[in-house]
Amino acid sequence: MPFDATDISLSVLKIAIVLGVLLSVTPIMVWVERRGSALIQDRVGPNRVGPFGLLQSFADALKFILKEDVIPAKAHKVLYTLAPMFGLLPAVTTFAVIPWGRAFIIPEMTLAGWTLFEGGRLFEPIVADVNVGILLIFALASLGVYGIVTAGWASNSKYSMFGAVRASAQMISYELALTLAAIVTLMSAGSLRLVDVVNSQAGYFVLFDMIKIPAWNMFPMFIGFVVFTVSGFAETNRLPFDLPEAEAELVAGYHTEYSSMKFAMFFMAEYMAMFTMAALITTLFLGGWDVPWYDEPPTFLGFALSVLAFATKVGFLLFVFVWVRWTLPRFKYDQLMRLGWKVFLPLAILNIIIVALLIAFQWI
Amino acid sequence: MLELIVFYVFAAMAVIFAVVVITHKNTVVSAISLVASLFSLAVMYVLLEAPFIAALQVIVYAGAIMVLFLFVIMLLNLQLQDEERTRPVQQFLGWFGSAAFGITLIYYIVKATVIQTLPHTPFMSDVRSLGIRLFEAYVFPFEMVSILLLSAIVGAIVLTQRGPMGEEPRGDR
Repeated sequence: MPFDATDISLSVLKIAIVLGVLLSVTPIMVWVERRGSALIQDRVGPNRVGPFGLLQSFADALKFILKEDVIPAKAHKVLYTLAPMFGLLPAVTTFAVIPWGRAFIIPEMTLAGWTLFEGGRLFEPIVADVNVGILLIFALASLGVYGIVTAGWASNSKYSMFGAVRASAQMISYELALTLAAIVTLMSAGSLRLVDVVNSQAGYFVLFDMIKIPAWNMFPMFIGFVVFTVSGFAETNRLPFDLPEAEAELVAGYHTEYSSMKFAMFFMAEYMAMFTMAALITTLFLGGWDVPWYDEPPTFLGFALSVLAFATKVGFLLFVFVWVRWTLPRFKYDQLMRLGWKVFLPLAILNIIIVALLIAFQWI
Repeated sequence: MLELIVFYVFAAMAVIFAVVVITHKNTVVSAISLVASLFSLAVMYVLLEAPFIAALQVIVYAGAIMVLFLFVIMLLNLQLQDEERTRPVQQFLGWFGSAAFGITLIYYIVKATVIQTLPHTPFMSDVRSLGIRLFEAYVFPFEMVSILLLSAIVGAIVLTQRGPMGEEPRGDR
């Protein structure tokens, strides 16, 4: 495959876009979370800094940078410093294999006689289109637990330690249900490549010869969709499954001892993981960048519309994350484990059998 | 050129972290170094155009097995202690055995004149053909492994299960 300067600059552009969105998602989501919680609890929320309090997050970020960085005297200094980086690394990298728009052919661009860009190139809006896409996501996501475990151990504090132990048990348990729930989408797509998963969801189901619904995986694989979404909440340590933090019992869980930018890195990792999870749910079950009831042309307009559709779906899911957090109370630890192993795991396996039958009878 | 740089960086990482695993006094640092070493090996698989094996390497070893290792080490909270040399024979055998193994290994690597290079065609990294192989040619060992794992799971449950009256687990503690 020829790989020239234009390809490299396109790759750099894509990486810049994805990283830029990932980094800006944290301040925006913090604002949405605080305003959303205020809305749900009938309060006002932060509304002083900037219009609608939009700049509050940036003020918070500035505060994080300026705070004193405390390392506890009896902490393991090297691991204590490395732990937030372990946590942030998978959160930043996983988005690379998720497609975020329809591919389009770049038209030739000229400016005053100069060819700015030779046309005829296919622009695929995905950083790394590898053929084991989803496995890469699970591989990197399974490394996310090291940040938490290392932080808990290196802090040398009992609350941090309890938080870390809970987190690792929880993440290992729910990873299983998450993976099994995702398998069905790969079965119907016949590929591990996420672009193929999205393409397999194009088109429509026609009910009773008149109602057209988009052929998104969430309709035939509803059980898998629910199991995946709920396990996604547990995997990202969000309420009602935020036992690793559980401020009523564990002060702040695994990051109790952390301050300043190191704490901010855990915070960023949590919101980035949430964003990636929302993007993954969208890609696997909600048709990815598919615009319902409309066939996008393979041009820049189609690309822009598909990115907009993707962003809308991810944005809605992110709002659901906030909505659920401020609506449901926290689970007890034994309830959480029982739900993971005794409810979601059998449900995910049942879903695999159902979808396998559907595929065998060629209904989907 | 780029591949070569990536290879040397991660090969060096794999070796350095592997050395840290056996030399560092702190067991948690050792465990995390092993994770880093395994991850570097996964990068080697990517360079060999076997991304499927690379992903499995990270999921199974770095992601699942080492988390449990780390879990146990942290819960036991092993303290640093210098044990007395109670059995000099064991010390001797340990050093002698590993030195003999190392020398043999180096001798044969140096002696080998024809180093087989891999064919340029990539490995069977396609999941479809891998699955077909697994369920046709290698179905017997595959099913045997699953029975082995099942018996291990049942064994683990039996050892830790409490009786109906809530008495202590039957396993040797």
